[in-house]
Amino acid sequence: MELFLQTLLNGLLMAGVYALVATGLALSLGVVGIVNFAHGEFLMLGAYLSYLLFALWGLDPLLSLGLAFAAAFAVGGLTYYGLIRPVLKAPELNQMLLTFGLSVILQNLALLLFGADTRVVAPPYQAATLTLGPFFLGAVPFGAFLLSAGLLLLLQAFFTRSRLGLAMRAVAQNRLAPGLLGIEAEGVYLLAFGLAAALAGAAGVMLSVMLYASPTVGFLFTLKSFAIVALAGLGNLKGVFPAALVLALAEALVSTYVPGGGGWVEAVFFLVLFLALVGRSRRAL
Amino acid sequence: MRAVLGLLLLFALLPFLPLGDWRAFVLDVGFFVQVLAALALSWDLVARTGQLSLAHGAFFGLGAYGVGLLAPELGTLPALLLGALLAGLSALLLGAVALRLHGLYFAIASLAFSEVLRTLALKLPFAGGPIGLPVPPALGGAWPLAPYFLGLGVLLLAVALSLWAERGAFGLAQAATRQSEAVARVLGVRVVRVKLLSLFLGSLTAGLAGGVYGMKTLFLNPYDAFSLARAVEALVIPIFGGLYSTLGPLLGGVLLVSLEQALRLWIQEGYLVVYGGILVLAILFLPKGLLGLLGGRRG
Repeated sequence: MELFLQTLLNGLLMAGVYALVATGLALSLGVVGIVNFAHGEFLMLGAYLSYLLFALWGLDPLLSLGLAFAAAFAVGGLTYYGLIRPVLKAPELNQMLLTFGLSVILQNLALLLFGADTRVVAPPYQAATLTLGPFFLGAVPFGAFLLSAGLLLLLQAFFTRSRLGLAMRAVAQNRLAPGLLGIEAEGVYLLAFGLAAALAGAAGVMLSVMLYASPTVGFLFTLKSFAIVALAGLGNLKGVFPAALVLALAEALVSTYVPGGGGWVEAVFFLVLFLALVGRSRRAL
Repeated sequence: MRAVLGLLLLFALLPFLPLGDWRAFVLDVGFFVQVLAALALSWDLVARTGQLSLAHGAFFGLGAYGVGLLAPELGTLPALLLGALLAGLSALLLGAVALRLHGLYFAIASLAFSEVLRTLALKLPFAGGPIGLPVPPALGGAWPLAPYFLGLGVLLLAVALSLWAERGAFGLAQAATRQSEAVARVLGVRVVRVKLLSLFLGSLTAGLAGGVYGMKTLFLNPYDAFSLARAVEALVIPIFGGLYSTLGPLLGGVLLVSLEQALRLWIQEGYLVVYGGILVLAILFLPKGLLGLLGGRRG
Protein backbone atom coordinates (compact mmCIF):
# COMPACT_ATOMS: atom_id res chain seq x y z
CA MET A 1 0.00 0.00 0.00
CA GLU A 2 2.77 2.39 0.90
CA LEU A 3 4.58 1.54 -2.30
CA PHE A 4 1.39 2.17 -4.23
CA LEU A 5 0.86 5.59 -2.66
CA GLN A 6 4.52 6.49 -3.13
CA THR A 7 4.17 5.57 -6.81
CA LEU A 8 1.10 7.77 -7.16
CA LEU A 9 2.97 10.60 -5.46
CA ASN A 10 5.90 10.29 -7.89
CA GLY A 11 3.47 10.34 -10.79
CA LEU A 12 1.70 13.41 -9.47
CA LEU A 13 4.98 15.32 -9.15
CA MET A 14 5.93 14.48 -12.75
CA ALA A 15 2.51 15.56 -14.03
CA GLY A 16 3.31 19.22 -13.28
CA VAL A 17 6.21 19.42 -15.75
CA TYR A 18 4.31 17.36 -18.33
CA ALA A 19 1.38 19.77 -18.08
CA LEU A 20 3.71 22.74 -18.47
CA VAL A 21 5.24 21.41 -21.69
CA ALA A 22 1.94 20.18 -23.10
CA THR A 23 0.24 23.51 -22.37
CA GLY A 24 2.76 25.22 -24.61
CA LEU A 25 2.07 22.72 -27.37
CA ALA A 26 -1.69 23.15 -26.97
CA LEU A 27 -1.22 26.91 -27.12
CA SER A 28 0.57 26.90 -30.47
CA LEU A 29 -1.94 24.39 -31.79
CA GLY A 30 -5.04 26.10 -30.43
CA VAL A 31 -4.17 29.75 -31.04
CA VAL A 32 -1.80 29.73 -34.02
CA GLY A 33 -3.15 26.51 -35.52
CA ILE A 34 0.31 25.06 -36.07
CA VAL A 35 1.34 21.50 -35.23
CA ASN A 36 4.74 22.25 -33.82
CA PHE A 37 6.97 19.19 -34.02
CA ALA A 38 9.85 21.38 -32.84
CA HIS A 39 8.15 22.22 -29.53
CA GLY A 40 10.40 19.90 -27.56
CA GLU A 41 13.46 21.51 -29.12
CA PHE A 42 12.66 24.74 -27.24
CA LEU A 43 12.76 22.57 -24.13
CA MET A 44 16.13 21.21 -25.19
CA LEU A 45 17.43 24.76 -25.66
CA GLY A 46 16.33 25.62 -22.13
CA ALA A 47 18.01 22.51 -20.75
CA TYR A 48 21.32 23.24 -22.52
CA LEU A 49 21.19 26.90 -21.50
CA SER A 50 20.79 25.83 -17.89
CA TYR A 51 23.67 23.38 -18.30
CA LEU A 52 25.98 25.98 -19.87
CA LEU A 53 25.20 28.65 -17.29
CA PHE A 54 25.83 26.15 -14.51
CA ALA A 55 28.99 24.70 -16.02
CA LEU A 56 30.57 28.06 -16.93
CA TRP A 57 29.52 30.34 -14.09
CA GLY A 58 27.93 28.01 -11.56
CA LEU A 59 24.62 29.80 -11.97
CA ASP A 60 21.85 28.19 -9.94
CA PRO A 61 19.12 26.65 -12.14
CA LEU A 62 16.53 28.65 -10.21
CA LEU A 63 18.14 31.80 -11.61
CA SER A 64 18.48 30.27 -15.08
CA LEU A 65 14.74 29.72 -15.09
CA GLY A 66 13.88 33.33 -15.84
CA LEU A 67 16.69 33.64 -18.38
CA ALA A 68 15.60 30.51 -20.20
CA PHE A 69 12.01 31.70 -20.20
CA ALA A 70 13.05 34.97 -21.85
CA ALA A 71 15.51 33.33 -24.26
CA ALA A 72 13.01 30.71 -25.38
CA PHE A 73 10.40 33.43 -25.81
CA ALA A 74 12.78 35.28 -28.12
CA VAL A 75 13.67 32.14 -30.08
CA GLY A 76 9.99 31.24 -30.38
CA GLY A 77 9.16 34.74 -31.61
CA LEU A 78 11.95 34.63 -34.19
CA THR A 79 10.81 31.18 -35.31
CA TYR A 80 7.31 32.51 -35.76
CA TYR A 81 8.53 35.49 -37.76
CA GLY A 82 11.00 33.67 -39.97
CA LEU A 83 9.41 30.29 -40.50
CA ILE A 84 5.83 29.96 -39.31
CA ARG A 85 4.34 33.19 -40.66
CA PRO A 86 5.23 32.45 -44.32
CA VAL A 87 3.36 29.12 -44.20
CA LEU A 88 0.31 30.17 -42.16
CA LYS A 89 -1.88 29.89 -45.25
CA ALA A 90 -0.04 26.94 -46.82
CA PRO A 91 -1.49 23.39 -46.80
CA GLU A 92 -1.28 21.67 -43.44
CA LEU A 93 1.13 19.07 -44.82
CA ASN A 94 3.64 21.84 -45.59
CA GLN A 95 3.24 23.36 -42.13
CA MET A 96 3.90 20.07 -40.41
CA LEU A 97 6.86 19.33 -42.67
CA LEU A 98 8.35 22.72 -41.86
CA THR A 99 8.23 22.30 -38.08
CA PHE A 100 9.45 18.73 -38.43
CA GLY A 101 12.39 19.99 -40.48
CA LEU A 102 13.16 22.58 -37.81
CA SER A 103 13.12 19.84 -35.19
CA VAL A 104 15.55 17.73 -37.22
CA ILE A 105 17.91 20.71 -37.68
CA LEU A 106 17.94 21.70 -34.01
CA GLN A 107 18.38 18.14 -32.74
CA ASN A 108 21.29 17.45 -35.04
CA LEU A 109 22.93 20.82 -34.43
CA ALA A 110 22.87 19.98 -30.73
CA LEU A 111 24.36 16.61 -31.58
CA LEU A 112 27.17 18.26 -33.53
CA LEU A 113 27.83 20.88 -30.83
CA PHE A 114 27.49 18.86 -27.64
CA GLY A 115 27.71 15.22 -28.73
CA ALA A 116 25.23 12.54 -27.75
CA ASP A 117 26.20 12.49 -24.05
CA THR A 118 23.63 13.39 -21.45
CA ARG A 119 24.52 16.37 -19.23
CA VAL A 120 23.12 16.83 -15.78
CA VAL A 121 23.00 20.04 -13.77
CA ALA A 122 23.85 19.13 -10.19
CA PRO A 123 23.23 21.98 -7.72
CA PRO A 124 23.91 21.14 -4.04
CA TYR A 125 20.24 20.43 -3.32
CA GLN A 126 19.89 17.98 -6.21
CA ALA A 127 19.70 14.84 -4.08
CA ALA A 128 17.87 16.38 -1.11
CA THR A 129 14.66 14.66 -0.02
CA LEU A 130 11.82 15.69 2.22
CA THR A 131 9.97 13.13 4.30
CA LEU A 132 6.24 13.30 4.63
CA GLY A 133 5.18 10.61 7.10
CA PRO A 134 6.20 7.32 5.49
CA PHE A 135 6.73 8.92 2.07
CA PHE A 136 9.70 10.53 0.39
CA LEU A 137 9.59 13.61 -1.75
CA GLY A 138 12.57 14.51 -3.88
CA ALA A 139 13.23 18.20 -3.29
CA VAL A 140 13.84 18.84 -6.98
CA PRO A 141 10.72 17.11 -8.36
CA PHE A 142 8.67 18.76 -5.60
CA GLY A 143 10.11 22.18 -6.42
CA ALA A 144 9.56 21.61 -10.14
CA PHE A 145 5.96 20.65 -9.46
CA LEU A 146 5.37 23.80 -7.43
CA LEU A 147 7.02 26.00 -10.05
CA SER A 148 5.05 24.39 -12.88
CA ALA A 149 1.79 24.70 -10.98
CA GLY A 150 2.60 28.35 -10.20
CA LEU A 151 3.36 29.11 -13.86
CA LEU A 152 0.18 27.41 -15.00
CA LEU A 153 -1.91 29.34 -12.46
CA LEU A 154 -0.33 32.58 -13.65
CA LEU A 155 -1.19 31.61 -17.21
CA GLN A 156 -4.75 30.85 -16.16
CA ALA A 157 -5.03 34.31 -14.59
CA PHE A 158 -3.55 35.84 -17.75
CA PHE A 159 -6.18 34.17 -19.90
CA THR A 160 -9.13 35.14 -17.72
CA ARG A 161 -8.12 38.55 -16.34
CA SER A 162 -6.00 40.41 -18.89
CA ARG A 163 -7.23 41.97 -22.12
CA LEU A 164 -4.37 40.37 -24.04
CA GLY A 165 -5.28 36.94 -22.67
CA LEU A 166 -8.90 37.42 -23.66
CA ALA A 167 -7.78 38.51 -27.13
CA MET A 168 -5.74 35.32 -27.40
CA ARG A 169 -8.74 33.19 -26.52
CA ALA A 170 -10.86 35.10 -29.01
CA VAL A 171 -8.37 34.42 -31.80
CA ALA A 172 -8.28 30.76 -30.79
CA GLN A 173 -12.05 30.54 -31.21
CA ASN A 174 -12.40 32.36 -34.49
CA ARG A 175 -9.87 33.59 -37.04
CA LEU A 176 -11.88 36.42 -38.55
CA ALA A 177 -14.19 37.97 -35.99
CA PRO A 178 -11.47 39.27 -33.63
CA GLY A 179 -10.07 41.29 -36.54
CA LEU A 180 -13.41 43.06 -36.86
CA LEU A 181 -13.25 43.87 -33.16
CA GLY A 182 -9.86 45.50 -33.57
CA ILE A 183 -7.65 42.68 -32.35
CA GLU A 184 -4.42 42.30 -34.30
CA ALA A 185 -4.27 38.56 -34.91
CA GLU A 186 -0.65 38.89 -36.08
CA GLY A 187 0.56 40.16 -32.71
CA VAL A 188 -1.49 37.59 -30.86
CA TYR A 189 0.04 34.76 -32.89
CA LEU A 190 3.52 36.06 -32.18
CA LEU A 191 2.82 36.31 -28.47
CA ALA A 192 1.18 32.88 -28.30
CA PHE A 193 4.03 31.18 -30.14
CA GLY A 194 6.64 32.94 -28.01
CA LEU A 195 4.77 32.05 -24.84
CA ALA A 196 4.49 28.42 -25.91
CA ALA A 197 8.24 28.27 -26.48
CA ALA A 198 8.92 30.06 -23.19
CA LEU A 199 6.91 27.49 -21.21
CA ALA A 200 8.92 24.71 -22.84
CA GLY A 201 12.18 26.58 -22.15
CA ALA A 202 11.34 26.92 -18.45
CA ALA A 203 10.44 23.23 -18.30
CA GLY A 204 13.79 22.49 -19.92
CA VAL A 205 15.65 24.13 -17.03
CA MET A 206 13.75 21.99 -14.52
CA LEU A 207 14.44 18.87 -16.54
CA SER A 208 18.16 19.63 -16.77
CA VAL A 209 18.22 18.97 -13.01
CA MET A 210 15.52 16.29 -12.75
CA LEU A 211 16.57 14.37 -15.81
CA TYR A 212 19.34 15.61 -18.11
CA ALA A 213 20.07 17.70 -21.17
CA SER A 214 20.67 15.75 -24.37
CA PRO A 215 20.01 16.32 -28.09
CA THR A 216 16.92 14.09 -28.02
CA VAL A 217 15.48 15.00 -24.61
CA GLY A 218 13.08 17.46 -26.19
CA PHE A 219 11.89 15.07 -28.85
CA LEU A 220 10.64 12.64 -26.24
CA PHE A 221 8.68 15.42 -24.61
CA THR A 222 7.18 16.48 -27.93
CA LEU A 223 5.76 12.98 -28.28
CA LYS A 224 4.53 12.82 -24.70
CA SER A 225 2.95 16.25 -25.06
CA PHE A 226 1.18 15.15 -28.22
CA ALA A 227 -0.23 12.17 -26.35
CA ILE A 228 -1.44 14.51 -23.59
CA VAL A 229 -2.94 17.01 -26.03
CA ALA A 230 -4.68 14.24 -27.99
CA LEU A 231 -6.18 12.92 -24.77
CA ALA A 232 -7.24 16.39 -23.63
CA GLY A 233 -8.68 17.38 -27.00
CA LEU A 234 -6.99 19.77 -29.41
CA GLY A 235 -6.75 23.30 -28.12
CA ASN A 236 -8.40 22.39 -24.84
CA LEU A 237 -6.15 24.02 -22.25
CA LYS A 238 -8.24 23.04 -19.23
CA GLY A 239 -8.02 19.36 -20.11
CA VAL A 240 -4.22 19.40 -20.26
CA PHE A 241 -3.50 18.94 -16.56
CA PRO A 242 -5.86 15.96 -16.06
CA ALA A 243 -4.48 14.36 -19.21
CA ALA A 244 -0.90 14.98 -18.05
CA LEU A 245 -1.83 13.36 -14.74
CA VAL A 246 -3.14 10.27 -16.55
CA LEU A 247 0.10 9.89 -18.51
CA ALA A 248 2.38 10.54 -15.54
CA LEU A 249 0.49 8.15 -13.25
CA ALA A 250 0.44 5.43 -15.91
CA GLU A 251 4.19 5.82 -16.37
CA ALA A 252 4.84 5.72 -12.63
CA LEU A 253 2.71 2.58 -12.24
CA VAL A 254 4.44 0.83 -15.13
CA SER A 255 7.90 1.65 -13.83
CA THR A 256 7.03 0.31 -10.35
CA TYR A 257 4.95 -2.75 -11.13
CA VAL A 258 5.96 -4.10 -14.55
CA PRO A 259 9.04 -6.33 -14.37
CA GLY A 260 11.88 -4.69 -16.25
CA GLY A 261 9.61 -1.62 -16.32
CA GLY A 262 12.43 0.86 -16.88
CA GLY A 263 12.47 0.27 -20.62
CA TRP A 264 8.72 -0.10 -21.06
CA VAL A 265 8.05 3.35 -19.58
CA GLU A 266 9.04 4.83 -22.93
CA ALA A 267 6.15 2.96 -24.58
CA VAL A 268 3.42 4.17 -22.23
CA PHE A 269 2.85 7.45 -24.06
CA PHE A 270 2.08 5.51 -27.22
CA LEU A 271 -0.54 3.43 -25.45
CA VAL A 272 -2.18 6.58 -24.09
CA LEU A 273 -2.10 8.22 -27.52
CA PHE A 274 -3.43 5.13 -29.24
CA LEU A 275 -6.31 4.73 -26.80
CA ALA A 276 -7.15 8.43 -27.08
CA LEU A 277 -7.28 8.07 -30.88
CA VAL A 278 -9.43 4.94 -30.67
CA GLY A 279 -11.86 6.83 -28.46
CA ARG A 280 -11.90 9.79 -30.81
CA SER A 281 -12.34 7.80 -34.01
CA ARG A 282 -15.24 5.82 -32.47
CA ARG A 283 -16.97 9.11 -31.78
CA ALA A 284 -16.18 10.29 -35.32
CA LEU A 285 -18.03 7.39 -36.92
CA MET B 1 7.90 9.41 -68.51
CA ARG B 2 10.89 9.18 -70.82
CA ALA B 3 13.16 10.40 -68.02
CA VAL B 4 11.74 7.79 -65.63
CA LEU B 5 12.37 4.96 -68.09
CA GLY B 6 15.84 6.29 -68.84
CA LEU B 7 16.79 6.32 -65.18
CA LEU B 8 15.46 2.78 -64.65
CA LEU B 9 17.39 1.56 -67.68
CA LEU B 10 20.53 3.14 -66.27
CA PHE B 11 20.05 1.25 -62.99
CA ALA B 12 19.51 -2.02 -64.86
CA LEU B 13 22.67 -1.56 -66.93
CA LEU B 14 24.90 -0.16 -64.18
CA PRO B 15 26.46 -3.53 -63.15
CA PHE B 16 27.46 -4.20 -66.76
CA LEU B 17 29.17 -0.88 -67.43
CA PRO B 18 32.99 -0.74 -67.41
CA LEU B 19 33.47 1.27 -64.21
CA GLY B 20 37.01 0.22 -63.40
CA ASP B 21 38.29 0.78 -59.86
CA TRP B 22 35.14 2.61 -58.80
CA ARG B 23 32.80 -0.28 -59.61
CA ALA B 24 32.22 -1.46 -56.03
CA PHE B 25 31.59 2.06 -54.73
CA VAL B 26 29.29 3.01 -57.60
CA LEU B 27 27.27 -0.18 -57.23
CA ASP B 28 26.94 0.42 -53.48
CA VAL B 29 25.71 3.96 -54.07
CA GLY B 30 23.41 2.66 -56.81
CA PHE B 31 21.95 0.11 -54.40
CA PHE B 32 21.20 2.70 -51.73
CA VAL B 33 19.73 5.07 -54.32
CA GLN B 34 17.37 2.32 -55.53
CA VAL B 35 16.21 1.33 -52.07
CA LEU B 36 15.76 4.86 -50.77
CA ALA B 37 14.11 6.08 -53.98
CA ALA B 38 11.62 3.21 -53.59
CA LEU B 39 11.06 4.29 -49.99
CA ALA B 40 10.58 7.89 -51.13
CA LEU B 41 8.06 6.85 -53.79
CA SER B 42 6.16 4.85 -51.21
CA TRP B 43 6.03 7.90 -48.93
CA ASP B 44 4.84 10.07 -51.80
CA LEU B 45 2.00 7.62 -52.46
CA VAL B 46 0.68 8.36 -48.96
CA ALA B 47 1.37 12.10 -49.25
CA ARG B 48 -0.82 12.24 -52.37
CA THR B 49 -3.83 11.84 -50.08
CA GLY B 50 -2.63 14.79 -47.97
CA GLN B 51 -1.41 12.61 -45.11
CA LEU B 52 1.98 13.12 -43.51
CA SER B 53 3.52 9.76 -42.63
CA LEU B 54 6.41 9.98 -40.19
CA ALA B 55 6.40 6.21 -39.79
CA HIS B 56 8.02 5.24 -43.07
CA GLY B 57 11.27 4.63 -41.24
CA ALA B 58 9.35 2.24 -38.99
CA PHE B 59 7.77 0.36 -41.90
CA PHE B 60 11.24 0.12 -43.44
CA GLY B 61 12.61 -1.22 -40.16
CA LEU B 62 9.74 -3.69 -39.75
CA GLY B 63 10.46 -5.11 -43.20
CA ALA B 64 14.13 -5.43 -42.34
CA TYR B 65 13.46 -7.09 -38.96
CA GLY B 66 10.92 -9.39 -40.64
CA VAL B 67 13.62 -10.63 -43.00
CA GLY B 68 16.15 -10.95 -40.20
CA LEU B 69 13.76 -13.06 -38.10
CA LEU B 70 12.11 -15.14 -40.84
CA ALA B 71 14.75 -15.67 -43.53
CA PRO B 72 16.69 -18.35 -41.60
CA GLU B 73 13.58 -20.56 -41.58
CA LEU B 74 11.64 -19.60 -44.69
CA GLY B 75 14.25 -18.49 -47.19
CA THR B 76 14.79 -15.11 -48.80
CA LEU B 77 11.69 -14.35 -50.84
CA PRO B 78 8.93 -15.59 -48.48
CA ALA B 79 10.61 -13.71 -45.61
CA LEU B 80 10.77 -10.57 -47.73
CA LEU B 81 7.05 -10.78 -48.51
CA LEU B 82 6.03 -11.60 -44.95
CA GLY B 83 8.15 -8.78 -43.56
CA ALA B 84 6.48 -6.36 -45.95
CA LEU B 85 3.08 -7.74 -44.97
CA LEU B 86 3.93 -7.13 -41.32
CA ALA B 87 4.67 -3.50 -42.15
CA GLY B 88 1.45 -3.23 -44.16
CA LEU B 89 -0.74 -4.72 -41.43
CA SER B 90 0.74 -2.49 -38.73
CA ALA B 91 0.06 0.48 -41.00
CA LEU B 92 -3.55 -0.62 -41.45
CA LEU B 93 -4.00 -0.84 -37.70
CA LEU B 94 -2.50 2.63 -37.27
CA GLY B 95 -4.56 4.03 -40.12
CA ALA B 96 -7.81 2.47 -38.94
CA VAL B 97 -7.76 4.56 -35.77
CA ALA B 98 -6.06 7.72 -37.06
CA LEU B 99 -7.19 8.21 -40.66
CA ARG B 100 -10.82 8.92 -39.79
CA LEU B 101 -9.67 11.95 -37.84
CA HIS B 102 -8.11 15.26 -38.79
CA GLY B 103 -4.82 14.86 -40.65
CA LEU B 104 -2.61 15.98 -37.81
CA TYR B 105 -3.65 12.99 -35.70
CA PHE B 106 -2.20 10.60 -38.25
CA ALA B 107 1.06 12.55 -38.45
CA ILE B 108 1.40 12.47 -34.67
CA ALA B 109 0.39 8.83 -34.33
CA SER B 110 2.83 7.79 -37.05
CA LEU B 111 5.70 9.62 -35.35
CA ALA B 112 4.85 8.03 -32.02
CA PHE B 113 4.60 4.63 -33.71
CA SER B 114 8.08 4.94 -35.18
CA GLU B 115 9.47 5.79 -31.75
CA VAL B 116 7.70 3.00 -29.89
CA LEU B 117 8.93 0.32 -32.28
CA ARG B 118 12.48 0.95 -31.17
CA THR B 119 11.40 0.31 -27.58
CA LEU B 120 9.74 -2.92 -28.69
CA ALA B 121 12.80 -4.09 -30.64
CA LEU B 122 14.93 -3.38 -27.56
CA LYS B 123 12.65 -5.17 -25.10
CA LEU B 124 11.13 -8.12 -26.98
CA PRO B 125 13.13 -11.26 -26.19
CA PHE B 126 13.26 -12.69 -29.72
CA ALA B 127 14.28 -9.44 -31.44
CA GLY B 128 17.90 -9.48 -30.31
CA GLY B 129 17.68 -6.52 -27.93
CA PRO B 130 20.26 -3.76 -28.08
CA ILE B 131 22.85 -6.08 -29.64
CA GLY B 132 20.86 -6.53 -32.82
CA LEU B 133 20.05 -9.20 -35.30
CA PRO B 134 22.10 -10.87 -38.04
CA VAL B 135 20.45 -11.18 -41.45
CA PRO B 136 21.33 -14.10 -43.74
CA PRO B 137 22.59 -12.99 -47.17
CA ALA B 138 20.09 -12.96 -50.03
CA LEU B 139 19.46 -16.26 -51.82
CA GLY B 140 22.12 -18.08 -49.83
CA GLY B 141 24.80 -15.55 -50.74
CA ALA B 142 25.79 -17.39 -53.94
CA TRP B 143 25.35 -14.33 -56.11
CA PRO B 144 26.97 -11.07 -54.95
CA LEU B 145 24.72 -8.93 -57.14
CA ALA B 146 21.52 -10.41 -55.66
CA PRO B 147 20.77 -7.48 -53.30
CA TYR B 148 21.34 -5.03 -56.13
CA PHE B 149 18.81 -6.68 -58.39
CA LEU B 150 16.33 -7.23 -55.55
CA GLY B 151 16.64 -3.49 -54.92
CA LEU B 152 15.98 -2.87 -58.61
CA GLY B 153 12.90 -5.08 -58.35
CA VAL B 154 11.53 -3.08 -55.42
CA LEU B 155 12.22 0.16 -57.24
CA LEU B 156 10.41 -1.13 -60.34
CA LEU B 157 7.44 -2.09 -58.18
CA ALA B 158 7.39 1.34 -56.51
CA VAL B 159 7.59 3.10 -59.88
CA ALA B 160 4.83 0.89 -61.32
CA LEU B 161 2.55 1.58 -58.34
CA SER B 162 3.22 5.29 -58.58
CA LEU B 163 2.55 5.41 -62.34
CA TRP B 164 -0.61 3.35 -61.91
CA ALA B 165 -1.90 5.70 -59.24
CA GLU B 166 -0.84 8.77 -61.20
CA ARG B 167 -2.67 7.83 -64.37
CA GLY B 168 -5.87 6.17 -63.22
CA ALA B 169 -9.04 7.06 -61.39
CA PHE B 170 -7.31 6.23 -58.11
CA GLY B 171 -4.91 9.13 -58.62
CA LEU B 172 -7.81 11.50 -59.14
CA ALA B 173 -9.44 10.22 -55.95
CA GLN B 174 -6.16 10.77 -54.12
CA ALA B 175 -5.84 14.33 -55.43
CA ALA B 176 -9.44 15.12 -54.52
CA THR B 177 -8.90 13.76 -51.01
CA ARG B 178 -5.79 15.88 -50.63
CA GLN B 179 -7.34 19.10 -51.89
CA SER B 180 -10.54 18.93 -49.87
CA GLU B 181 -11.92 15.93 -48.06
CA ALA B 182 -15.39 17.41 -47.78
CA VAL B 183 -15.63 18.12 -51.51
CA ALA B 184 -14.18 14.70 -52.36
CA ARG B 185 -16.81 13.07 -50.19
CA VAL B 186 -19.60 14.96 -51.94
CA LEU B 187 -18.18 13.82 -55.29
CA GLY B 188 -18.54 10.21 -54.18
CA VAL B 189 -14.92 9.48 -53.25
CA ARG B 190 -14.69 7.08 -50.32
CA VAL B 191 -12.12 9.20 -48.55
CA VAL B 192 -11.13 6.91 -45.69
CA ARG B 193 -10.83 3.94 -48.03
CA VAL B 194 -8.60 5.86 -50.45
CA LYS B 195 -6.36 6.96 -47.58
CA LEU B 196 -6.19 3.47 -46.12
CA LEU B 197 -5.37 1.79 -49.43
CA SER B 198 -2.67 4.38 -50.20
CA LEU B 199 -1.16 3.82 -46.76
CA PHE B 200 -1.31 0.03 -47.13
CA LEU B 201 0.42 0.06 -50.52
CA GLY B 202 2.94 2.65 -49.34
CA SER B 203 3.86 0.75 -46.19
CA LEU B 204 4.09 -2.55 -48.07
CA THR B 205 6.60 -1.08 -50.52
CA ALA B 206 8.52 0.55 -47.66
CA GLY B 207 8.67 -2.83 -45.90
CA LEU B 208 10.03 -4.52 -49.04
CA ALA B 209 12.68 -1.80 -49.39
CA GLY B 210 13.65 -2.34 -45.75
CA GLY B 211 13.92 -6.09 -46.21
CA VAL B 212 16.28 -5.70 -49.16
CA TYR B 213 18.30 -3.15 -47.19
CA GLY B 214 18.69 -5.71 -44.39
CA MET B 215 20.05 -8.28 -46.83
CA LYS B 216 22.69 -5.81 -47.93
CA THR B 217 23.84 -4.64 -44.49
CA LEU B 218 23.60 -8.21 -43.08
CA PHE B 219 23.13 -6.82 -39.59
CA LEU B 220 20.37 -4.82 -37.91
CA ASN B 221 20.20 -2.99 -34.64
CA PRO B 222 17.22 -1.12 -33.20
CA TYR B 223 18.96 2.25 -33.28
CA ASP B 224 19.74 1.98 -36.98
CA ALA B 225 16.69 0.09 -38.28
CA PHE B 226 14.17 2.27 -36.44
CA SER B 227 16.08 5.54 -36.53
CA LEU B 228 14.23 8.71 -37.38
CA ALA B 229 16.84 9.30 -40.10
CA ARG B 230 15.08 6.89 -42.45
CA ALA B 231 11.75 8.67 -42.03
CA VAL B 232 13.48 11.97 -42.71
CA GLU B 233 15.08 10.65 -45.89
CA ALA B 234 11.76 9.16 -47.01
CA LEU B 235 10.11 12.56 -47.00
CA VAL B 236 12.94 14.95 -47.87
CA ILE B 237 13.72 13.09 -51.13
CA PRO B 238 10.26 13.57 -52.69
CA ILE B 239 9.95 17.14 -51.41
CA PHE B 240 13.33 18.07 -52.85
CA GLY B 241 12.65 16.29 -56.12
CA GLY B 242 9.00 17.25 -56.55
CA LEU B 243 5.93 16.06 -54.66
CA TYR B 244 3.08 13.99 -56.11
CA SER B 245 5.05 12.72 -59.09
CA THR B 246 7.09 9.69 -60.12
CA LEU B 247 10.07 11.49 -61.56
CA GLY B 248 10.48 13.81 -58.56
CA PRO B 249 11.33 11.18 -55.93
CA LEU B 250 13.55 9.33 -58.43
CA LEU B 251 15.51 12.45 -59.27
CA GLY B 252 15.67 13.53 -55.63
CA GLY B 253 16.85 10.04 -54.68
CA VAL B 254 19.69 10.03 -57.19
CA LEU B 255 20.95 13.45 -56.09
CA LEU B 256 20.43 13.32 -52.33
CA VAL B 257 21.49 9.74 -51.70
CA SER B 258 24.67 10.16 -53.76
CA LEU B 259 25.37 13.36 -51.82
CA GLU B 260 24.73 11.54 -48.54
CA GLN B 261 27.04 8.66 -49.41
CA ALA B 262 29.75 11.15 -50.28
CA LEU B 263 29.14 13.24 -47.13
CA ARG B 264 29.28 10.14 -44.96
CA LEU B 265 32.94 9.80 -45.88
CA TRP B 266 33.56 13.00 -43.88
CA ILE B 267 30.73 13.41 -41.40
CA GLN B 268 29.66 10.55 -39.19
CA GLU B 269 27.06 12.07 -36.89
CA GLY B 270 24.68 14.90 -37.49
CA TYR B 271 24.64 14.78 -41.29
CA LEU B 272 20.85 14.95 -40.91
CA VAL B 273 21.29 18.71 -40.46
CA VAL B 274 21.68 18.82 -44.23
CA TYR B 275 18.39 16.99 -44.74
CA GLY B 276 16.60 19.21 -42.23
CA GLY B 277 17.98 22.31 -43.92
CA ILE B 278 16.94 21.11 -47.38
CA LEU B 279 13.47 20.33 -46.01
CA VAL B 280 12.92 23.77 -44.50
CA LEU B 281 14.35 25.62 -47.51
CA ALA B 282 12.33 23.56 -49.98
CA ILE B 283 9.07 24.18 -48.09
CA LEU B 284 9.74 27.91 -47.91
CA PHE B 285 11.18 28.62 -51.33
CA LEU B 286 10.67 25.62 -53.58
CA PRO B 287 7.33 23.99 -52.73
CA LYS B 288 7.24 22.14 -56.03
CA GLY B 289 10.78 20.85 -55.75
CA LEU B 290 13.29 20.42 -58.55
CA LEU B 291 10.54 19.57 -61.01
CA GLY B 292 8.95 22.96 -60.34
CA LEU B 293 12.33 24.55 -60.97
CA LEU B 294 12.72 22.66 -64.25
CA GLY B 295 9.31 23.85 -65.37
CA GLY B 296 7.53 20.52 -64.91
CA ARG B 297 3.90 20.59 -65.86
CA ARG B 298 2.57 18.67 -62.85
CA GLY B 299 1.14 20.81 -60.10
